[in-house]
Amino acid sequence: MAKLIAIRELKIDIPKEAMILAEKMLKDLENSKRPVLEAVKTSLDNSFYNAKVGYLTPGDKVVRTELNVSSVQKLARVVFVLEILLNNLKIEAVNTKRELYYMAKGLIKGSSKLKPLDFEDQPESDAIIDFIGDMLEVYREELNCFANDRGGQTYSQQLVVTETLPDGDKAVIDLSTLGTSPFQPKNKPQSLKLKAKKKIDFCLVIESEGTANTLATMGFTKRNNCILMGAQGVPSNGVRGWCKLIQEQLDVPMYFFGDLDAYTMQNIFRTLKAGSAASLIRNADFSAPNVRFLGVLPEDVKKYDLPHYKVKESDPAEARALKKAKDVLENDPFFLDKKNKNLADILRFLIKEKIRCEQQSYFSVDPKDPIKTEKIILEKIKRGSYV
Amino acid sequence: MSKITKSSTAEYFAKNLQQVGFSSPLKAVLTTLKEAVDNSLDACESSGILPDLLIEVTKVGTGSTKNTDLVKIVVEDNGPGIDGDDLAKVYGEYLASSKFGRGQCSRGQQGIGISAATTWAQMTNAKGVQVISKTKNMRKAVSAQVDVDIKSNTGILKNKETIEWDRPHGTRVEFYLDGRIQLNGDGGLVTYIEGTILVNPHMTITYKLMENDFVTINRVSAASPDLPEATLPHPHTFKLGEFITHATLFGKVSLSKFLKTGFSRITDQSIKDFVKNGLPKGLVEKPITSLSEEDFKKVFQAVQATELMAPSTKSVLTVGEESLSKSIMRLGEIDFFAVVTRKPCICDFKPVVVEVALARFKTRQMEADSAVQLLRFANRVPLQFDKSGCAITWAIESVNWKAYGLAQPKDSLPIGPYIFAVSVVSPFIKFKNASKETIDASEELVAEIRLALIQAGQKLSRHIKKEFKEADLERKLAHIEQFGPILVESLARIIGAPESRKKKAEEGLKKLLGRDSEAAIADLEEAESKLLAQKKKERQKGIGHEEEEVESDVISSEELSEEAEEKPQSTTKKATTKKAVGTKKGGK
Repeated sequence: MAKLIAIRELKIDIPKEAMILAEKMLKDLENSKRPVLEAVKTSLDNSFYNAKVGYLTPGDKVVRTELNVSSVQKLARVVFVLEILLNNLKIEAVNTKRELYYMAKGLIKGSSKLKPLDFEDQPESDAIIDFIGDMLEVYREELNCFANDRGGQTYSQQLVVTETLPDGDKAVIDLSTLGTSPFQPKNKPQSLKLKAKKKIDFCLVIESEGTANTLATMGFTKRNNCILMGAQGVPSNGVRGWCKLIQEQLDVPMYFFGDLDAYTMQNIFRTLKAGSAASLIRNADFSAPNVRFLGVLPEDVKKYDLPHYKVKESDPAEARALKKAKDVLENDPFFLDKKNKNLADILRFLIKEKIRCEQQSYFSVDPKDPIKTEKIILEKIKRGSYV
Repeated sequence: MSKITKSSTAEYFAKNLQQVGFSSPLKAVLTTLKEAVDNSLDACESSGILPDLLIEVTKVGTGSTKNTDLVKIVVEDNGPGIDGDDLAKVYGEYLASSKFGRGQCSRGQQGIGISAATTWAQMTNAKGVQVISKTKNMRKAVSAQVDVDIKSNTGILKNKETIEWDRPHGTRVEFYLDGRIQLNGDGGLVTYIEGTILVNPHMTITYKLMENDFVTINRVSAASPDLPEATLPHPHTFKLGEFITHATLFGKVSLSKFLKTGFSRITDQSIKDFVKNGLPKGLVEKPITSLSEEDFKKVFQAVQATELMAPSTKSVLTVGEESLSKSIMRLGEIDFFAVVTRKPCICDFKPVVVEVALARFKTRQMEADSAVQLLRFANRVPLQFDKSGCAITWAIESVNWKAYGLAQPKDSLPIGPYIFAVSVVSPFIKFKNASKETIDASEELVAEIRLALIQAGQKLSRHIKKEFKEADLERKLAHIEQFGPILVESLARIIGAPESRKKKAEEGLKKLLGRDSEAAIADLEEAESKLLAQKKKERQKGIGHEEEEVESDVISSEELSEEAEEKPQSTTKKATTKKAVGTKKGGK
């Protein structure tokens, strides 16, 4: 099988590292010493934010798993799954987490001795895979475990993507030649090289895939030298890596356009801009710190008289988002940083006013003008109306 | 204008039998049985006789009303018996009672129940109750059918004759009535009989339900409960109207004498205090017959405004922890149980005592994931309907049972194969309805029941905790056996280690995990010793948990560490100091 393309220049050799780890564990056992596994603690209380770096980085807290009667099951599972992953690396096979879950079940089915290891459901095996990644401080993709590609559909008349294929061949994709089809990055976008045929003025990331498609269809990319992308909700690793790549290689201003609500701000925008606490070890390659929040801004609601709604506190999802907003204002280093005060202010506004306003509400401003939303977006960019 | 007629008490009840427990064919059978058993037990108790009861409930044909069976209900006792002259009054007249309002913790109170049963039989099967009774002084027994004359609220004797009866004294009643028999479930006859068995340890009962064989359950206590003397009512429990009516019972006596003899807790000093609180001094020695309503009102207000000593708690009676613990074993083979008898106390100015028995059974068919089976008692009578409105249910739901190791959905009864028996005894129990199905939930009463439950819960949790620790140890030992070899083998495979290293690592692993299981053993030992201490304390109070040799139940740490590891190590001092999971005291 052809060699897979690396996401980054990895400082460690995973199989070698795994061998050292296994050797140490066995040695400890031989000496009746309790083997210990340590993994980076991936949680908000171990997240640091420095505006100059631009994304959340891990502190020195670790999750320590020492062998005892309670943890012996977890350790046995970690070593068991590690063996599967090492074998995948060796034969260069790739899998999704769900496939790995079934592979584990298949192996367990084949051996009665392994039966106690059996996973009841996928979250159990997912947790083990994540732990191995955090322990070796490598990306899941570097363990040949990939998620499905979601989001990131991109339209542009200027962008040319060159992909180096595993066999060394190069594929050149000129996005202007794709007709109405968007280009979608794989969730390992780091193997792509980007070039602009003509100067690109900005990149616009839209929360709603549908609205991105509407703008493209109505000629947004024809009238503007830009990259237009749909995020499809919380950005996947693919979308995050793709935005990072655009930022690094093209250095164009990047704007995010989505709903005005607590969920969009803290789950979607924050993740795109600075990564997340759950992915502390990968934020460096999976966040685009230069992205700006174009809207919907609180002042837009007034200025354009946008229809908006009261947050229903009876709706558990919305109530949870608001409660979380209060929490992040106190604990999330991203929102605590002075540099992001304006973003934190939006959260404060949302907590106080308890309203939400959707991105599509721009279509209410002049329903007779099919490109009114485009006009507002451009006007906002021109005016510098973003945070 | 339509004519205003006056109807007799019997007429009223005959038309409203649903109010006194005859609202369906199903309840008719249960209520009839209940009323007859209550009367038997009360009669035995008041004469100091240890009750021997015989009960038969069988289907003998089809009922005259739609969808009913003709049911025969027999209750026979060895009580003092009833004089022939009194039979008509007892079984055929409403509100003819020896117990009405006299302030004793008897099961029956008003004298409605058994007459209502006679009425039901008469209405559905055109025949009242068949009674045989014999007192100590009678040579032969008297046998008669008693009907209720509904128009005049009097009993009528039919076919009265004297017969030979081979017992020194006792009463046998036989009802034939329309009804339906339900054995199990909250409203079932089995539940009723079991409840009655539980709170009457001094009773021997032989029963036959439907086509089942006769079952005999022997008494476990040879002491007939001491019926406390009747108590005078406390003035603070009265309303003005009651107060005036009460006064008419005393004839021409002075007000001070009426107050002192008609109520509890009123002394000469109290009378002086009443005067201070607005009782016109001139009224004190005036005969009550000459008092106007206005005067009574003044007196009543002064009495209510004065602080009085709380009523005496001597009038309540308890089953007792010892008897309760013996009695509960009569319901089936028990895993473990906890009993609590609270000291009598005052709730809403009435003396009350609460007793609780919680038990888990080995043999009963109970669902592990459904709510506990709740047995409620008021004055030792099982309450089987309208569970949700009852003070007892409220109290159980207000306790945080999770703290004692039981699962419990929010604001609900806890879950598990347990029986929760809660008994409230009081000479003035307040029911929500005349059929005595639910205890009215006053805040004070609920709080008192709750305290009893919390105490019992704490005791129960010792048993549950020990079990939990046992399971924990077992799980840990299993973990070592299951996962240890997999771990070592996978590691050896990854690095290609030789067999010798594998073996050494396996030994090392066993050693390590053996140490852990010792800690678990120490935890278990601590839980066990706490339970032992509790059992010891209870044994001193006469409460025995099974006939087992308790000590043999304890697993020695040596045995277990041998199991976990080949080389037995001396039991670790360090491990024993390890803190067991603390119990959260109290409820929510």
